[in-house]
Amino acid sequence: MCLGIPGRIVEVHDTQGLPMGVVDFGGVRREVCLAYVADQIKPGDYAIVHVGFAISKVDEKEAKRTFEVLREMSQLDELEWMQDLTP
Amino acid sequence: MTTTCPIPIATAERVQLGHGSGGKMSAALVRERFLPLFRNDILGQLGDAAIVDVAGQSLAISTDTFVVQPLEFPGGNIGSLAVHGTVNDLAMMGAQPCWLSAGFVLEEGLSFDVLDRVVQSMADAAREARVLLVAGDTKVVERGKADGIFINTTGVGLRPADFSPAPARAQPGDAVIVSGPIGRHGIAIMTAREGLAFEAEVTSDSAALTPLVNALRERVGDAVHTLRDPTRGGVASTLNEIAAAAGIGIVLEEHLLPIPGPVAAACEMLGFDPLYVANEGLLVAFVPDAQADDAVHALRSHPLGRAATRIGRCVREHPGMVVLSTGIGGTRVVDMLPGDQLPRIC
Amino acid sequence: MKYLSEYRDPKVARGLIAEIKRAATRRWVLMEVCGGQTHTIVKQGLDELLDDAVEMVHGPGCPVCVTPLEQIDKALALASRPDVIFTSFGDMLRVPGSDCDLLQVRARGGTVRIVYSPLDALELARKNPDNEVVFFAVGFETTAPANAMAVWRAKELGVKNFSVLVSHVTVPPAMVALLESPDNRVQGFLAAGHVCTIMGWTEYEPIAAKYKVPIVVTGFEPLDILEGMLLAVRQLEEGRHEVENQYVRSVRRDGNQPAQDLVSRVFELVDRNWRGIGPIPRSGLGVRAEFADFDAERRFALEGIHTAEPEICRAGDVLRGVLKPFDCPAFGTMCTPEHPLGAPMVSSEGACAAYYNYGRFRSAV
Repeated sequence: MCLGIPGRIVEVHDTQGLPMGVVDFGGVRREVCLAYVADQIKPGDYAIVHVGFAISKVDEKEAKRTFEVLREMSQLDELEWMQDLTP
Repeated sequence: MTTTCPIPIATAERVQLGHGSGGKMSAALVRERFLPLFRNDILGQLGDAAIVDVAGQSLAISTDTFVVQPLEFPGGNIGSLAVHGTVNDLAMMGAQPCWLSAGFVLEEGLSFDVLDRVVQSMADAAREARVLLVAGDTKVVERGKADGIFINTTGVGLRPADFSPAPARAQPGDAVIVSGPIGRHGIAIMTAREGLAFEAEVTSDSAALTPLVNALRERVGDAVHTLRDPTRGGVASTLNEIAAAAGIGIVLEEHLLPIPGPVAAACEMLGFDPLYVANEGLLVAFVPDAQADDAVHALRSHPLGRAATRIGRCVREHPGMVVLSTGIGGTRVVDMLPGDQLPRIC
Repeated sequence: MKYLSEYRDPKVARGLIAEIKRAATRRWVLMEVCGGQTHTIVKQGLDELLDDAVEMVHGPGCPVCVTPLEQIDKALALASRPDVIFTSFGDMLRVPGSDCDLLQVRARGGTVRIVYSPLDALELARKNPDNEVVFFAVGFETTAPANAMAVWRAKELGVKNFSVLVSHVTVPPAMVALLESPDNRVQGFLAAGHVCTIMGWTEYEPIAAKYKVPIVVTGFEPLDILEGMLLAVRQLEEGRHEVENQYVRSVRRDGNQPAQDLVSRVFELVDRNWRGIGPIPRSGLGVRAEFADFDAERRFALEGIHTAEPEICRAGDVLRGVLKPFDCPAFGTMCTPEHPLGAPMVSSEGACAAYYNYGRFRSAV
């Protein structure tokens, strides 16, 4: 369940008291309700968006760390595999 | 915990929107309700256009009806679409499009401004495609009965004796080539539709494909086994139709598919697969592997074909089935959808 | 796309696959709860690539699949009313009710519109004051805050023609029901990353402890799923049974507080009948009395709805992970995406549809 994709907050505004924003998803833009992340989010930040609502702010540090760890792991793997081949 | 089940859906007793989507329901509708009553070999080919012989000259005849909503969208309108669609159907059978007829059903209350823009687009498109509009008809129906405008265009073209691409001619060993980026038209339509409300830097690719077909014919001639324009139902549906018609399997390579960034992003948002999104200025070509590079170069020599590329190949295995090879080393079946893709939350 | 495409890196994926195979000394049985995760697994062929190390059973994490038949039938009744504009997420339109589906209701003259966000449905109500607009509020905990906001705003703005037909379900009670089942084979879980984005993971700690199962909160991209599987396998190999968070870029332990707050102000826990599984107490959400005006069930008289429950399809067994789609006798023959017998074949997230669309190849070759 829960198709949620990351997008970049481009601008924030207020629609009759409801915090809203425009989010850019790799070239596609949509209005998104920011009520649930309002205190943490500012233009330039990334958020996960589900059915037109931002449900979390992407923790960019954590995201980077995860990816680095994973990539390292896979590179190590290539090295090991190559060692198995050399006589 | 008990387990219970829903009762099966009875076969639809009425026409549904899915019957017009270009997927399995459309195919079933034609096969079960139309073909049996109009039985003849020419129709039975189910090509993009019918080929008839008149005193030794091959004529291609094709018809298409345009009901797109909204009437105007980034990159075109129902008028330009009506010309391009039928011209392309003729071109896909190897014919040079020459003449068009146009039938209009106008809704009472349609603004003349809109009508003028649509007709102007048609005239421009016809001029560029070098076809003459030689016959027409106009009807008006009551408010609420026609969504603004419906347009039917029928086209006639001349096919040279030495060039006869057809769906059944695709063979194992052929390369599958696409002439440009996929998914533009369907997404452009979505952006203009109310209810989904998103903006994207995507315009429809609606265009006449005749120059691309001519470029291919000049470079590789009748080695072009099959040509098809993947309109509703997208590249996936078209490839499935060809695989079934030719009795071959098709293997696509995921990393080769040319999908523009904004199209990919819009598809992510809606939960769509770009392979099923409509195109209106795109062709797929089946050419023997040995001539595939030439074919790609020929396409790239024209502005419409700048992004032409191989996306897969035909195989003897799994006839009738289209399969995609992922970057990780997995494979999956790319089946035809029953009806339209539906935006999902899941 | 940033924070999406990187998690599809094929090289890293192959590395993770090798790592999982190395870590597993026996074949473990894992369940991914969420339909979106099933989609990725089958779309990338991950279960096929890892078959000797892990058996993936697909859980009931598809709200479309588990929406009770009664709620679908109520939706169909409402959509058939001439004064109602019935709005819904796209994936509900083809789910079969007792007699037909929303697409067929539309063919018969009902007004059924697809919306992307519940706020779009509210906007439609404001623009069409002469019609009743009903929104089919379906989903797990991820979607509840959005649906709650639509109701909240409707009250705040004094919209008089908007209501929701609610069919929300929550994950933990379903997991417990699965674990309590005598034929349960699942040894570890990949919990749904977006459900936990809202709810956090505290609810899963007592479950992990009591049933001694590792629960890894996992994302949706191939690298997320693979990393989640690796963490689960390592726990199983080491005899641990903790709640771990793989989806660190989105999930925090306490989840999204403002979202949880609004959900509990608008909705309350109710018993829910899960299609194909049966009634699970306190596993669903219903509209609170203060918002009764916006509850379609209370606003419209929905009598005379006969819900038929004959047993032909094995959706229940598939949803509980007891049966694989292709082991079902109806799979691919009587039950296909064009003629679905049950919701898992209709919903693009359903295990059966995923298998049908992506997996037939394996049996063909």
